[in-house]
Amino acid sequence: MRLRVKRADRNLQTSPPRVTAAEEFIISGSVMVLDAFCKLTPRRKEIVLMEAPPCSQVEELQQEQEQGSSLVVGLSLCDSAPLLWRLQDLKTVRSNSLVGALLGSLPRTPRQNIRLGRPLLLMPEEERVLREHHGAAALPARNQGAAGAAELRQRYEEEQQRSLEEQSILALEDRKSALLRAMTSSSGSESGAGSDEALQCRLLALEQNFSFPRSALAVQLSTARAGLSHFQEARAFLEADWPIREQDSPRRDARYQVFRDLRGRGFFLTSAGKFGGDFLVYPGDPLRFHAHFIAICLTLDESICMLDVLSVARLGSNVKKTVLLCSPAPDGSVHYTSLQWSGMV
Amino acid sequence: MADKNKTGSADNFYNEILSPCELFAARSRSHKIPARGQKDFYPDDSEEQRQRLQQSLDEHWNLIAEERVERLGNLVKATWVPSDRIVELQTPAGKFWQTMGFSAEGKQYLLPEEALYLMECGNLLVLHQDLPLSIQDGYEMFLSSDGVSLQQYQVFGHLKRLGYVVHRFDPSSEPSSYVRQLNLPQSRERGGRQLKRKRSPSPTPTCSHTKTPGESLAENMEDDDKLPESHLMTSAEPPDPQTASQRSAGEGQARTWWMMDAPELEVDKRSSPGSPSGRLRWNFSTIPFPDLGSTSRPRCTVPVDPSLLPRDVTVGVCDLDSWMRKINLRKVKMSLKEQQREKRRRRWDVNKDREVQRCRNWAEYHELLARRQAKRQGRPAHLWNRKVKPLHDPTQPISTSELLDKISVVKSTNLLEGASRLKGSEEWRICFNVYQPDSVADFKKSNPGKPYSRMCVCSFDGPVPDLRVIKQLAFQSGDVLVVYAVVDHGDISFYTFKDFQLPRDVYT
Repeated sequence: MRLRVKRADRNLQTSPPRVTAAEEFIISGSVMVLDAFCKLTPRRKEIVLMEAPPCSQVEELQQEQEQGSSLVVGLSLCDSAPLLWRLQDLKTVRSNSLVGALLGSLPRTPRQNIRLGRPLLLMPEEERVLREHHGAAALPARNQGAAGAAELRQRYEEEQQRSLEEQSILALEDRKSALLRAMTSSSGSESGAGSDEALQCRLLALEQNFSFPRSALAVQLSTARAGLSHFQEARAFLEADWPIREQDSPRRDARYQVFRDLRGRGFFLTSAGKFGGDFLVYPGDPLRFHAHFIAICLTLDESICMLDVLSVARLGSNVKKTVLLCSPAPDGSVHYTSLQWSGMV
Repeated sequence: MADKNKTGSADNFYNEILSPCELFAARSRSHKIPARGQKDFYPDDSEEQRQRLQQSLDEHWNLIAEERVERLGNLVKATWVPSDRIVELQTPAGKFWQTMGFSAEGKQYLLPEEALYLMECGNLLVLHQDLPLSIQDGYEMFLSSDGVSLQQYQVFGHLKRLGYVVHRFDPSSEPSSYVRQLNLPQSRERGGRQLKRKRSPSPTPTCSHTKTPGESLAENMEDDDKLPESHLMTSAEPPDPQTASQRSAGEGQARTWWMMDAPELEVDKRSSPGSPSGRLRWNFSTIPFPDLGSTSRPRCTVPVDPSLLPRDVTVGVCDLDSWMRKINLRKVKMSLKEQQREKRRRRWDVNKDREVQRCRNWAEYHELLARRQAKRQGRPAHLWNRKVKPLHDPTQPISTSELLDKISVVKSTNLLEGASRLKGSEEWRICFNVYQPDSVADFKKSNPGKPYSRMCVCSFDGPVPDLRVIKQLAFQSGDVLVVYAVVDHGDISFYTFKDFQLPRDVYT
């Protein structure tokens, strides 16, 4: 079992992640720079010694690990928005009942907006859940310094050459089997060595004349960046040096408490701007279920206009959802008030 | 599960790089999107539901997991130029060149948002330091808050995926407010209103029913023979009993109204003398009473300033004596009855009225008359002599629509009203010109024509645009609709603010 590490001091939060110094490998993940780790590991141990989590917390974390959510999610910032790129990271957050929002074009059919693809954008509350559960690490930004760029370039070219050769073989085999199929099906009635010989002849001719042009090479446009920071060990380290910003404001706090409480009750939440609320609350995975509630977060001492209450209630009934007014109490619990439009006859 | 991730598929997990075999196989994969079935209302923990969820999730992850695989020959190659934040094409552009990109110095370039979109569509391979960029690299390198922000790119991508042609909005390409004021109908109207206001600075709009010196002067201008009279009026210095300083001030004013209106008067005289508009130009509050009866008057008048006269007219020194002699000074013989009536009339003589005597000019006299009339008609004076006055004087005739206008406390306003004076803000700006998808076939980048709409990108987390912003952006956009694309994480909603004229039942 791994010990979770709490921050040693607050200064660390503002300092840039130490691992940015570690070399980023763009093409192949199979290369690892070990010395960067050797240098940094002692410091990590230090933090562990200083602040071992209390027992109860450890048990909690243990439970969490047993649930299979132990994988640390790598989170990268794009224009200060937290984005997830790796498929496994997406799966991990979904298994933690965090939904997020897909932003990118779907590779299969890019020119439509019905189903989108990676990256996945997290809501601030989702980001904070991950932070508090030490479930995410901020990935270092792309290394611009390009140390060893020449080596990488060479590697890239070698890989592509190898890919061309392999694909060429595959293409030839593909062609051969197609020819075989065509010959055997068309000359099914004919039998004997004559047709077999002809077939061999054709195959040979094909093999000699076959060329696989470079332009036909299938190449991948990678979605996520390949590199060192995606190793499990690197992530575990990054997690300890968690650099994700904290956002503090009463409104954000209220939203977060509501988010945490509803999520704790097994609901899935997404943003609800289009319904004029803070969250859409789903009873199960949004893939299979409709949202039941529109959650609106208010602090306990906040007064709201009667007309606003009426308009959200009316809107809620129009989209067949119940409006929840959610107010976090000082003791950590959340008060819920549901609004329902009742028709009097 | 976790173990499997750590060991077996570790390579795949950490790299997500396809083997040549997988790449080859990807050439013949489906392009269909699996349909999503009916959703359930509530989870009931049934095995059936669990299976359906698992199936949906599997489909979902398969879809998300797919990597872009393209034939190398189909990809346009380009390089990222970080210093200019721009992408330079290395191989001939594809079909997208009709609506995207620009050329400069014989090279073809793409803007970062265009390049990123084309990368996502699998049309473009961007290299940096001779190594291909992943989509993630593209997002992180091309998008920044000081260039194209992520939210702006979200809106850009959303519209592009729907087929719209989206270009960056360039404020300098819009005609300036000055040019627009000369061309646009609504600004011409505004100019007209200003002109009108210039023409009627007179504080006495009720002057038309009494014959004023201005009026008579305008009439007299018709025939130049009567020049001396008009001359008299203009130059006669009233023996004002008030202080000298006030008189000189009045004189100064008298000069200015003449000077300012002289050219216009000249034009007016030729076309339609004494036309209402011409009459309204007179500022009666600055015209002193002519005094014909005074005996202490000098025998000669001051010569007229030639700049005030029409070009060909010259005025010599005017001897007043001959005119004075023509005034009938004989005493009128009257009967006793007549004398008594005259006496009574004298008692009511306007000139003996102390209040009238106190009037220094026509404006004050009119004021006095109005005051007195109001008193006679029983209009309670206390309502009218204060700062806050009744909206309408019931004795004045008024049409229904005018009355409705008066009582509408909140006046309806046009979205563009006063917008030209607003200064642009840093926070709010129009980002994109949007052209409709059906225009793609004959779209020209050099001459894109009028956009279908313009986009202003904002967020639910940020402030709501206020009236000032809406007015300013609407003015900047001219007659093209400004759409506010509001980004809420993954969702984008589009809003517009349109002018709305309340219907009216009463006309004229």
